Amino acid sequence: MRSVGALIVIMLLLALIGPMLAPHDPTQINIPHRLSPPSPEWLLGTDALGRDILSRLLHGARWSLGLAFLISVIGLCIGTVAGLVAAQGGKLADWFVMRVTDTFLAFPDLVAAVVIAGVLGAGTGSLIFALTVTGWMRYARVARGIGLSLQNRGYVVQAKLAGLSPLVIARWHYLPSLLPSLAVVWTGMFARAILGISALGFLGFGVQPPMPEWGTMLLDARIHMRSTPLQMIWPGLAVVICVLAINLTGDALRDALAEQKDRKGTA
Amino acid sequence: MIGSLGNLFLRTAVVLTGTALATFALLWHAPGDPALAIADARYASIPPAEVVDLIRAEAGLDAGFWPAFQAWVGPLIGGDFGQSSVTGRDVWPELVTAMSYTGPLALAGLSVGLLISVPLALLATQHPGGWLDRCAVALASIGAAIPAYWLGLLLILLFAVQLGWLPAMGARTPAHIILPALTLGLGVAASLTRILRSGILEARDQHFLPAFQRRGVANRDIERDHVVPHAAIPVVTVFGLELAFLLEGVVMVEVIFARPGLGSFLVNAIEARDFPKVQAVVVLTAVLFVTVNLLIDLIYHALDPRIGERDA
Repeated sequence: MRSVGALIVIMLLLALIGPMLAPHDPTQINIPHRLSPPSPEWLLGTDALGRDILSRLLHGARWSLGLAFLISVIGLCIGTVAGLVAAQGGKLADWFVMRVTDTFLAFPDLVAAVVIAGVLGAGTGSLIFALTVTGWMRYARVARGIGLSLQNRGYVVQAKLAGLSPLVIARWHYLPSLLPSLAVVWTGMFARAILGISALGFLGFGVQPPMPEWGTMLLDARIHMRSTPLQMIWPGLAVVICVLAINLTGDALRDALAEQKDRKGTA
Repeated sequence: MIGSLGNLFLRTAVVLTGTALATFALLWHAPGDPALAIADARYASIPPAEVVDLIRAEAGLDAGFWPAFQAWVGPLIGGDFGQSSVTGRDVWPELVTAMSYTGPLALAGLSVGLLISVPLALLATQHPGGWLDRCAVALASIGAAIPAYWLGLLLILLFAVQLGWLPAMGARTPAHIILPALTLGLGVAASLTRILRSGILEARDQHFLPAFQRRGVANRDIERDHVVPHAAIPVVTVFGLELAFLLEGVVMVEVIFARPGLGSFLVNAIEARDFPKVQAVVVLTAVLFVTVNLLIDLIYHALDPRIGERDA
């Protein structure tokens, strides 16, 4: 869990402080210096409108990482509530919530997000909506599964018999047991959100220019692939590094949890 | 067994209905007047109000949500996907053409993925924790973090722009499929390698394997007869996931390589606001996806009857 905490802090710091470190204004158009190669003035060169690529990358962190964080946390809240309602709300609620979950899972998330964002019209609002709507189901499944397994534990039964409200039971009895597993799902969804944001940006359905978002930057860079191939490397590399860091943290957390479970099982 | 199978089919039907309803609701509530959008797409200008009204009546847009939904779903169940709102031509033949491009690409991508991941996973698990194993895991982790569109652009940059060995854009010759298939396949390989590797390690861990060893059965025979079949079971499950990955990948890859196919068909339809086409792709994808997952569940039921009882 500590590693996930560190990850959150690093990613949020990147999104918050990154833009402050930028040497130039990311939207400052500078035609005489368009498509410059890397130099001391422009460390990673400039794009087709003469904007500083390093500054755009650093500002882009706010969009790519910040939005992905927001989207994955909204999904976490929706999914956990849905899963707990399914686990606690009786057979009918369970059937209904799980069929809704199935319906949303019946479709590749990114394709669904492309359709939703594209139909609603390009923009940050529809981007957030599209990726949230397609990104809560895994949390719901995990929350429901663990919730059902806790249902007959002594302390839960006792709390129910004592007449505690389902909300109180959810908060104090279910949530603590859910958190580690949800954290693993969250790392995966955070990484997926970063990939989703840049994929939609690359298709032109995401964050709109002139805002510097990594996928949109890649879309711009693609046109000038022949003359300045380096320009295409940076935004992609930024995505890969962030996603890799998040995935590795998630893997480590999952292994730690599995080990913990094994130890409990043999003790 | 029969009860749980019935349940499975009922769930599939519910899911498909839900998908159709959600899609229709999304397009119904899409911003902008759809009749105006159709008029704009057809005549490239804002026509007089009567024409817009005519289009609205013709497309069944004035009937309200439920009648319009019924008017769409009714023929759909009979296999009629309707007409493009822009060109007025039937959607189905165009969809078939698109699939004839996407099918081979998806198959080629899957084959590349299998050709890389199966040998890699088998090699890696010879010595778990050894340098080969660690390399395979590292490669798979990096591969899973690389977005398909970036990988595609890098491959174009290297093989088409710098080296000039392979064609990149379009689908004129058979060679045009190489780079897109490679882009898709490398992504598939990354996720499959991880799954196969952990599947094989788990299969090796089974308590009856030492018994065979002590009886003098050759390691190679144990591997072939007991480890590989066990490792294949999780692979069946992930086939559904891989299909999702392939469909998502196909959208990006077709756009990057300017290939005709379902993905570019979908993106073009969205951009043209040709909603009957968008609906058709969504329904087709959902049917494909749900059918494959249903088949996987059925195979699972056949392989392991306990699964039906556990997951009520």
